[in-house]
Amino acid sequence: MAYFTAFILAIISGMLINNVLLSRFYGICSFVGVSNKLKNAFWMGVAVVVVIVLAALICYPLYMLLDAAGISFLRTVVFILVIASLVQFLSFVIKKYSPTLYKAFGIYLPLITTNCAVLGVVEENAASHAADFGAAMANALGTSLGYLVVIVLFSAVRARLETNNVPRAFKGLPIALIVAAIMAMAFTGMKGMA
Amino acid sequence: MILSSVSPLTILWGVLILGVLGIVFGVLLVFASIFFHVEEDNRIDEVAKLLPQANCGGCGYAGCHDLAEAIVKGEVTKVSTCKVGKKEKNFDPIIAYMSTHPDKDGTKHVPTL
Repeated sequence: MAYFTAFILAIISGMLINNVLLSRFYGICSFVGVSNKLKNAFWMGVAVVVVIVLAALICYPLYMLLDAAGISFLRTVVFILVIASLVQFLSFVIKKYSPTLYKAFGIYLPLITTNCAVLGVVEENAASHAADFGAAMANALGTSLGYLVVIVLFSAVRARLETNNVPRAFKGLPIALIVAAIMAMAFTGMKGMA
Repeated sequence: MILSSVSPLTILWGVLILGVLGIVFGVLLVFASIFFHVEEDNRIDEVAKLLPQANCGGCGYAGCHDLAEAIVKGEVTKVSTCKVGKKEKNFDPIIAYMSTHPDKDGTKHVPTL
């Protein structure tokens, strides 16, 4: 029971308190790039959740293997190999079942490969050497759900901005980045809760 | 020499593990690409082959394949939308190809320069 509580707490802490986007600043490019429509943002978040969880699942035993063989310095290459294969696989699936979504993602779908949130999670899991499998999965789930929640919130704000009278110099991306900054300030309010 | 401090075993394991992983993921992706294959107008691939394959995005599409799709569908009527293409090498062959390969119902989307 205590283990389960710790698991849930770790997910919440990764999701809200140490949010990937707003307090660790990973994966900003897709965050700004695909957040202009709520639906696309949601599915981008789901895609990132799938990739991060699967990558963490596969990379955990692989890192054990690399460590046992004494070649843990190769971990970045191996992790990127796993992530790139996963993203390629996911793009096949999306192209087959939702061509419109495939179009909407455009370049940002293959860019999940280089999304630092994904590599960040597996690197953190590898770096916290003693961490058990549960902690690694909690980190992956928390981080990726944090990405999903924030990108959905952010795209809702951006949808409102579209209809508002924004000064011309701030139209589009500049105001979006300012919004992200204000959201990040709001999220610092949760620092130190866990 | 840095290499003298690396034991041959390390190199062996590195090559072995990375090689095996590469082959395993490659084979899995081949099967996935067959299983999730999407039927596409084969003219799109032909036009994409005639484009420079720079995938620079200069045309405003995500890559050469997307521009080829737009040309075949008639959404793009000027081949010079592609910024890096050459007239003799890319544009003329595409115009020639599109003028001899109409849609199934016979309508032609022949782009101009």
